Amino acid sequence: MTTKRLLTDSLRVAIGATLLCGCSGEIGPSNGGPGGPGSVMGGGPPTGGPPMGGPAGGGSGGSPSGAGLLNLPSGPLPTNGLHKLTAWEFANSLHDLLGSDVPLSPVEVDTLIGGFATVGASTVAISPAGVGQYETVLGAATSFAFADATHAGAVLSCVPSATTDAACLTSALSAFGRRAFRRPLSADETTAFVNLATTISNQMGSSVLAGVQHAVWAMLQSPDFLYRVELGAPSASDGGRLKYTGFEIASRLAATIWGSVPDDTLLDAAAGNALAAPDGIRAQVQRMIADPRAHRALAAFSDELFDAFALSQADKDPSFTAYTDTLRAAMLKEIELRVDDMTFTQKGDYLSLFESTTTFVNKELAAFYGVPFTAADSDFHRVDLPAGTPRVGLLGSAGILAGHAHSQLTSPTSRGKYVDTMLLCRTVPPPPPGVPPLPDHAPPGSTVRQVMEAHRSQAQCAACHAMMDPIGFGMENFDTTGQYRTTDNGQPIDASGTLDGVAFSSLAQLGSAVRKNASTGPCLVSKVYENALGRLPIDVDTAALDQLITRFNASGHHVDQLLVDLAGSDGFRFVSPTK
Amino acid sequence: MLFGRNKISRRAVLRGAMAGGAVVALPLPRLGAMLNGNGTAYADGKALPVRFGWWFFGNGIIPERWVPSRTGVGDKWALSEELAPLENVKPWVQVISGTAIKVPDRAPHSSFTAAALSGADSGPRTTLLPTIEQVIGQMINGGTTFPTGLHVGIGNSGGGTEIGDTHSFSGVNMPNPAEFDPSNMFKKLMPFASSATGKPTTPDPELLRRQMVLDAVSNQASNLRKRLGMDDQQRLDRHLQGIQELQTQIMRASGPKVSGKLVDPVVAHPNGGGPGSLSRERCQAFNDLLVFAMSTDLTRIFSYTFTPAASFQVYADIGLPGGYHSTYGHRGSPMGAAFATEGMNRGVRFAIGNMGDLVTRMKETPDGAGNLLDNSCVYTTSCTSEAQTHSPLDFPIVVAGKAGGKLKGDQHIRLIDDNTTKVIYTLYTAYGGTAPTFGKDLGQVSSGIPEMLA
Repeated sequence: MTTKRLLTDSLRVAIGATLLCGCSGEIGPSNGGPGGPGSVMGGGPPTGGPPMGGPAGGGSGGSPSGAGLLNLPSGPLPTNGLHKLTAWEFANSLHDLLGSDVPLSPVEVDTLIGGFATVGASTVAISPAGVGQYETVLGAATSFAFADATHAGAVLSCVPSATTDAACLTSALSAFGRRAFRRPLSADETTAFVNLATTISNQMGSSVLAGVQHAVWAMLQSPDFLYRVELGAPSASDGGRLKYTGFEIASRLAATIWGSVPDDTLLDAAAGNALAAPDGIRAQVQRMIADPRAHRALAAFSDELFDAFALSQADKDPSFTAYTDTLRAAMLKEIELRVDDMTFTQKGDYLSLFESTTTFVNKELAAFYGVPFTAADSDFHRVDLPAGTPRVGLLGSAGILAGHAHSQLTSPTSRGKYVDTMLLCRTVPPPPPGVPPLPDHAPPGSTVRQVMEAHRSQAQCAACHAMMDPIGFGMENFDTTGQYRTTDNGQPIDASGTLDGVAFSSLAQLGSAVRKNASTGPCLVSKVYENALGRLPIDVDTAALDQLITRFNASGHHVDQLLVDLAGSDGFRFVSPTK
Repeated sequence: MLFGRNKISRRAVLRGAMAGGAVVALPLPRLGAMLNGNGTAYADGKALPVRFGWWFFGNGIIPERWVPSRTGVGDKWALSEELAPLENVKPWVQVISGTAIKVPDRAPHSSFTAAALSGADSGPRTTLLPTIEQVIGQMINGGTTFPTGLHVGIGNSGGGTEIGDTHSFSGVNMPNPAEFDPSNMFKKLMPFASSATGKPTTPDPELLRRQMVLDAVSNQASNLRKRLGMDDQQRLDRHLQGIQELQTQIMRASGPKVSGKLVDPVVAHPNGGGPGSLSRERCQAFNDLLVFAMSTDLTRIFSYTFTPAASFQVYADIGLPGGYHSTYGHRGSPMGAAFATEGMNRGVRFAIGNMGDLVTRMKETPDGAGNLLDNSCVYTTSCTSEAQTHSPLDFPIVVAGKAGGKLKGDQHIRLIDDNTTKVIYTLYTAYGGTAPTFGKDLGQVSSGIPEMLA
């Protein structure tokens, strides 16, 4: 059923109705009710925060800047210190602890809040079924890792030869536990695990390796591994302020920079009190971002920032035969590589990605984009898109375009809302209750844009849709799968709009407008901060964010430097970012 | 005869493999042998277990085609077009129409879902009160092998709503995510199912070791707990609860097996599609497993999310192209409004047909002197009434099952503008609840619907 071009009159009405039309005409809380935390993509503030339209023009006296652009809501500082490992932190940690070839089946699905799994992981409880899943996954993983002495030797600092080899057993479990728990085990803890290993080793038909496997299985099922425990301790030199301890800093650094557990070097630095002050922390971060493990964490962050979840849900009509599962995976990888390249290889201006025509494609994606692919393999390679290409900047990545569109038609509203919430850190209020069906006042044979113009003529809809739709119009030259097109239902596409008063009429110009928008840099900083801290930023974070934004601007928008600055900042080192 | 003299390995039986490749049919549930003379209670006087679950489908209904035209009992009413798939279980079915969600539509599709399932609003990725099957589970399910119940998910294409795609909650920020793969649920239940030979299996030494490991884990957790603030302690407590449930499951796996038909879904329903696909066969695979778990008393509560709130699932199984939410719920199909409306209707009938499959299986499963549907209640609802306007009015509610004689069947009650929470409050009281109110804020009620009760 090829329905791409069949846009009837009633469809026009229907599309309008599809767009969840209507929010209050004012930019402000409607009926005194809360703005609402928003949907999957809602990077906005928690309940009670005012909806935000965007900064008042550029350059006028008294207009907000830096963290002021983020319109951070007020709220109580969350005191949660128990951070469940996200699914990718769990997998990375196990690969680092037990070997990269250890088999891992899935654990309980993460809860994304504000688009980030780390935020959900700070507040959402694991279900009893999820606890059972951990047992199963970790049982299989440890059985594999301790299947024989060779495997065990790759994991343990010492492989006990017999149950009587107490010294080796103790040191092996102690060393492993220090990495798994991100801190030294207490004497009692070590004794408990050694006893468990010994008891099981001595059972009939058992072995010392089986004992070790079960002890490690117990360690990895302990909440001390499955959660990062970051509680802080009063710091006398900081007036009693709650400061993260050296080992807690090590835990946070490893999670943020590597998405995993600390290595021994980092733990030794903690033990030697080298993580008590920003200089020592920054030195470790420099080392860590040069390590291959840093790429995994950045990829996970990139996936969430660029809404991999939406892409995973974005099934299309079967008539789009090029839109395969492998293509979708390639779309996600392209975005990861663009961000990775700018951060670690180019060490360049992150914002320039919005105007860049350099990207990464594999064979399938190259064919989809219509660019030559000369390599014989199926890997990703850097490519400079042809001169004059319409596919300019990150917003030209098919993964973003396809992830926020319907199964057959584009959704300028959805694409615009994504940019608003995740790239500009604006809150889009939900539609008001009781949205009525729209009257039919769109002419037949019109484009998606034309229908939505008619749609926005209703005052109750216009205010919010004005935040979203114009941005989406800038992307209308790309169909629902992210494929370039010049017409929509036979009509030429009008990709014009404005973003905070800056006009554009193509994706390239939209990219420039986003790059130059005062919110874009601060928003990226805020998202990195949010992901690292595992909570949505609030007003007490203003000073810390302002400092990071200033440094980000001064560094030329270098993300690697941002990570260094973040780790040394008060927001990272103290439970509360302000005194 | 099935068993003969052939020695069949336990593994082969539980994979459903046999000499002829047929699925093994195991003896009837043990309950029959343990009843009193007239089958209305256990021989020792204890009441038979009653079960409860909710069944949820996203994107609402077409009220004019959902609401039965007449009210009353028995012959006085007939099923509507969208409820027609329930014809063969009509004697167990109550339709409660006309009620309204009183919780404001603050978060589209999310607030109403939370209100219909818990009597409260939603928050980010949560309901603000536990969902009804957990509330009832607190009263009836504590001693079973799966105290938190079993949670089924069929379609995995979400709706981008505030509540997210998990709809069962034991409390705020305490989700019970659904299982999308029937093979995983089968593996979970397998340790408790008996072997075909009837001989006790040799105790598995690994079960004891797993207990020892979990004891060590519990000790670690108890020590950690002392250092935490209250919010963190609550989350850790839920983790500890999970460890306890796991330990109970391991203990029971070492004990006597239950008997009952445990069907390997891979064998019995090979064409249902992978996890997340919306097909009748996948629903049937889960129905088999749920019926097994309930009739053998491994659990007494469940949740069943056919499609989540505002789902954009493609209903490929019935040949409807396009994401359901926008294409049919909001009549956005390129084929026009008439096609979209018919598609919407067919989608609702498809959903109700699958719910009907489950309750029919329950009806056909002997339980005590009657059947499993006599001793259960399945509460069916959605995230909206009229989909196009996200209406809270004339909210879709169907209740199937007699709850061990506590609920009526075969009637249509119409209560214009009453608070929808009254329905789950009534069910809560039918299962023994005594609190004077139910729900929160505008979702709260202090009275139920006596006409629902037997």
